[in-house]
Amino acid sequence: MRKYRLIFSLAFQNEFIYRLNFVLWRFRNVLRVLLAFFLWSVVFTGRDTAFGYTRPQMLGYVLFVLVIQTLVMSAPSNDNVGGEIANGDLSNYLLKPVSYLKFWFTRDLASKLLNILFSVGEIVLLWLLLRPEIYLSFHPVSLLLGLLLWISGVLIYFFLTKIAVFAAFWTPENTWGFMFVILVFMEVLSGAIFPLDVLPGWVQSALQFTPFPYLIYYPIGIFVDRFSHAHALRLLAQSLIWLGISIWLSLRVWRAGLKNYSATGR
Amino acid sequence: MPVIQVQNLKKYYKVHQKEPGLSGSIRSLFSRKYYDAKAVDGVSFDIGEGELVGFIGPNGAGKTTTLKVLSGLLYPTSGTVSVLGFTPWDRKPEFQKQFSLVMGQKNQLWWDLPAMESFILNKEIYEVPDAQFKQTLDELVELLEVKDFLKVQVRKLSLGQRMKMELIAALIHSPRILFLDEPTIGLDVVMQKKMRDFIKEYNQRFNSTIILTSHYMDDVKELCERVIIIDKGRLLFDGALAEIIKKFANHKLLTAVFSEEVNREDLEKIGQVKEFDYPRAVISVKRTVASQAAAQLLQNFPVADLNIEEPQIEDIIREVFTGKDLA
Repeated sequence: MRKYRLIFSLAFQNEFIYRLNFVLWRFRNVLRVLLAFFLWSVVFTGRDTAFGYTRPQMLGYVLFVLVIQTLVMSAPSNDNVGGEIANGDLSNYLLKPVSYLKFWFTRDLASKLLNILFSVGEIVLLWLLLRPEIYLSFHPVSLLLGLLLWISGVLIYFFLTKIAVFAAFWTPENTWGFMFVILVFMEVLSGAIFPLDVLPGWVQSALQFTPFPYLIYYPIGIFVDRFSHAHALRLLAQSLIWLGISIWLSLRVWRAGLKNYSATGR
Repeated sequence: MPVIQVQNLKKYYKVHQKEPGLSGSIRSLFSRKYYDAKAVDGVSFDIGEGELVGFIGPNGAGKTTTLKVLSGLLYPTSGTVSVLGFTPWDRKPEFQKQFSLVMGQKNQLWWDLPAMESFILNKEIYEVPDAQFKQTLDELVELLEVKDFLKVQVRKLSLGQRMKMELIAALIHSPRILFLDEPTIGLDVVMQKKMRDFIKEYNQRFNSTIILTSHYMDDVKELCERVIIIDKGRLLFDGALAEIIKKFANHKLLTAVFSEEVNREDLEKIGQVKEFDYPRAVISVKRTVASQAAAQLLQNFPVADLNIEEPQIEDIIREVFTGKDLA
């Protein structure tokens, strides 16, 4: 355990080295929220509801995404693991008594912590600036279920995206393009751009059978009491099933990949 | 009891062939031709504790692949390998704590942080006790003279300094077995020498088993009593460095200095004239007839000085690799 604590601390220090990079990255996130904010303001001109959302509900959702998505989708592993497999740097880890997946999850956690600290500050700033009405459940059961679903979402995201980057074991040349497509799909289908219930009914029904809504849309839904507690509990159970599937699948792909790994770069 | 046992090791890679050009790229999207690249093709050897063995061979001979199998990075196609009683590719932590692989062209240090941070991380990863860590680190830092650079960002170090730091990072858990893949590559001659001295010292002081690959014959000549030569995935030679000469050099070199002008054609009758630059000539003759040839030379030519020499190891090895007749 101590080794991962140290990795966490080193990763945290490492994030600080590219300060400007980090600040710009956060700026991009704020800009995106502002963009969504003004977009929805236009949609709501002259009407009280759209897609079954009131103006404050929708703006609340948009602000929520900033925090939830930061924790779920801040993952430097996605930018690095594929490259490390392709250029052979993975060897450094395989030689040592350290788990590569735990190593990168730890580094992701460090990045998540740093990002979440900033995103909370940004939320306060944006809230002061825009003064939207935000609804947040204060029911302890909702908060607990929402939190559990959130954590499960963080883990599902980690393992699902790892399955995609492990493609580098077989096609080291085109990891990044593949990853990029997947990330864009994930962002839309998870509800990071807009709440999923603005989509046509049949799309929503189809999405129910994918892991994506469990990343962002459902956790927020629980925090803002859009689901009954019974429904939330069922969502949590389903989320855990998806977590199990994605862990199992990613470990299988990982092991198969290692057999194919040729430790190149030399 | 050998610490490393390798029996009939084979490692084949599936390699896909692409026709040149864009049309070749497009065609390779639909149908790909594969062939087996035989990186290692039936190699066997044993290595005992404390040995310092040199692995030599041309580029692509299979040296690095063998080291990668021995350190558990690659699964072999067939054959058995035992290192310290472990099967390397099981990657058991108890095994990983006892060896290290250093690749001259790869780095494991965190690029943006001082090397010291990586050392501390390795201490935790290998679970090295505090006291042992401090002692090992002090020793290595002193041996390699890098005290002043421990707190400098790795990216700001020179290649030589960085290579030393890489070594420290690889040795901080006092491995019993050390695989060094081209440890002196890219270093200047002074630095190469220092690296060699260090490796020798390390081997003697800690009785660690070391396998070293290098393109520089000097590395091998100075460090290794035993060498293993592989080429095209096959073992060509395994034994003492001096034995190479006996085994492969079936010729000797006669170097003569003449007092009067001689004819090159006449010299060709004695043996193969390798160099001729009056007054000096080098003639290669079969080992078995070397003394007769020398006598002939002395009798029939105006010889001022004569030397009978073994050929240079570099020359022998080069000839072994190029598959030339060695006479």
